[in-house]
Amino acid sequence: MTRRYWNINLEEMMEAGVHFGHGTRKWNPRMAPYISAKRKGIHITNLTRTARFLSEACDLVFDAASRGKQFLIVGTKNKVADSVARAAIKARCHYVNKKWLGGMSTNWSTTETRLHKFRDLRTEQKTGGLNHFPKRDAVMLKRQLSHLQTYLGGIKYMTGLPDIVIIVDQHEEYTALRECITLGIPTICLIDTNCDPDLADISIPANDDAIASIRLILNKLVFAICEGRSSYLRNT
Amino acid sequence: MAVSATSLCSFSSLCIGTPRPSLLTPPPHIPTILTITTPKRLHPSLSIARLTLTTTKANPSDIDTTFFDNLNPEEDVVFDPPAPPEGFVPPPSFDEDPPEPEDEIAAAYEELYGPAYSGVSVLGNDIHVMDSKVKKATGFGSKVKKEKVRDGFEERVVQVRRVTKVVKGGKQLHFRAIVVVGDKQGQVGVGVGKAKEVIGAVQKSATNARRNIITVPMTKYLTFPHRSEGDYGAAKVMLRPASPGTGVIAGGAVRIVLEMAGVENALGKQLGSKNALNNARATVVAVQKMRQFSDVARERGIPMEELWK
Repeated sequence: MTRRYWNINLEEMMEAGVHFGHGTRKWNPRMAPYISAKRKGIHITNLTRTARFLSEACDLVFDAASRGKQFLIVGTKNKVADSVARAAIKARCHYVNKKWLGGMSTNWSTTETRLHKFRDLRTEQKTGGLNHFPKRDAVMLKRQLSHLQTYLGGIKYMTGLPDIVIIVDQHEEYTALRECITLGIPTICLIDTNCDPDLADISIPANDDAIASIRLILNKLVFAICEGRSSYLRNT
Repeated sequence: MAVSATSLCSFSSLCIGTPRPSLLTPPPHIPTILTITTPKRLHPSLSIARLTLTTTKANPSDIDTTFFDNLNPEEDVVFDPPAPPEGFVPPPSFDEDPPEPEDEIAAAYEELYGPAYSGVSVLGNDIHVMDSKVKKATGFGSKVKKEKVRDGFEERVVQVRRVTKVVKGGKQLHFRAIVVVGDKQGQVGVGVGKAKEVIGAVQKSATNARRNIITVPMTKYLTFPHRSEGDYGAAKVMLRPASPGTGVIAGGAVRIVLEMAGVENALGKQLGSKNALNNARATVVAVQKMRQFSDVARERGIPMEELWK
């Protein structure tokens, strides 16, 4: 893996507030190596390490994308839900921005059944088949369709398990992380001072509360994915 | 930062050729395996994934995360990115991008992944291409499930028990099946499954067994390299190698596990509890503790003759 330039500069990250952690009382002692200082009752993460990890993560993601791997971005906090969706759409990856249903990857066959149903409902809606049903049934089907759209909308192009999963907040998406670990899928995770860095494969110590910081990191990763993909398209 | 053990064992065999330049401690010597080696235990689950059984493991990928395996947290990390290429324009953030029309998004996705489950096809592909993947509800006897011996594993039922859950309305009965799955060449797995019907329970437990398969170290006379004891719960099992011609002399669950592993000559005793499931699991534990002589000699760096002194 060659190291490329990812336009990561520390001033930008400080502006976005990537270095802020959570309160001192809520920390996870395993994060001790990544915390540089304690200011006003809040832990401050070491930005050089963050930058290093972020560039390595971008390299990895670029490498994987240039080999045609599939990505999945998971972020369910309501503040960051649409940024996750937009980032994923820009990078042309799958995403989960509403609740991550338990068993989405470990119980993939059932998720496939739901995706199948989603697909059938959409075709029916497109061909106007919903109008043939009595009103009550049509309303129920429409409600099902909207449910499936919110929960499964981001993964409707996914044919199998993803190759890399990017998780935005480890605390929030603990189930998703656990599932990826049992299945052996490499994960990239945004870690805050109250999370465990040993669970994910690549953990980027950063602030998961501020939208600006998540947006910045997602930007870099999405850029890396796009570059990787374009090099994949150029080579094949 | 230590990566958890599971990911370490998945990735340590999967890195490709060149060791990456690292500012921290140089990476340890990793055997370079240029072809992707799938660990043996994934084979049965991959072949079953076609049909109704739900074993899904991510395809082993050649993604190299070994950089993160041996990080020293105390070291001072210096961040010096390589120089930007000439004319590098920082790309616009995804929020400032003009919103793309839905059709374009759908077309781009479809180019990459095929129409999959989207329900609409912008590029004119067939949207029913994923139909075969979903298991169809079978009627009575219309479609016999043909995954009996496809992957070379034989199943044997150790015990089927009727278990009860008492609720307000009465007793709810289920069947719990314990099945040992093995090819007779050193791979075994023990599984449990519960269902309302015996057949369903047996199938579930077979799936479960295929998910946790271990290899039994065997010598060329089809016996163990050395004695070992294993316990699980209150069941304690002692295993001992035997000379050829002895056969498997062990009781109940232990005998079935050893037979399905292909071990021909062994002695085993259930000390402690006689619970079938726990004894089966205890034999698995005991077998996992065993090492081949060649492996130990290699690890310790001494010739094998030293071990027999």
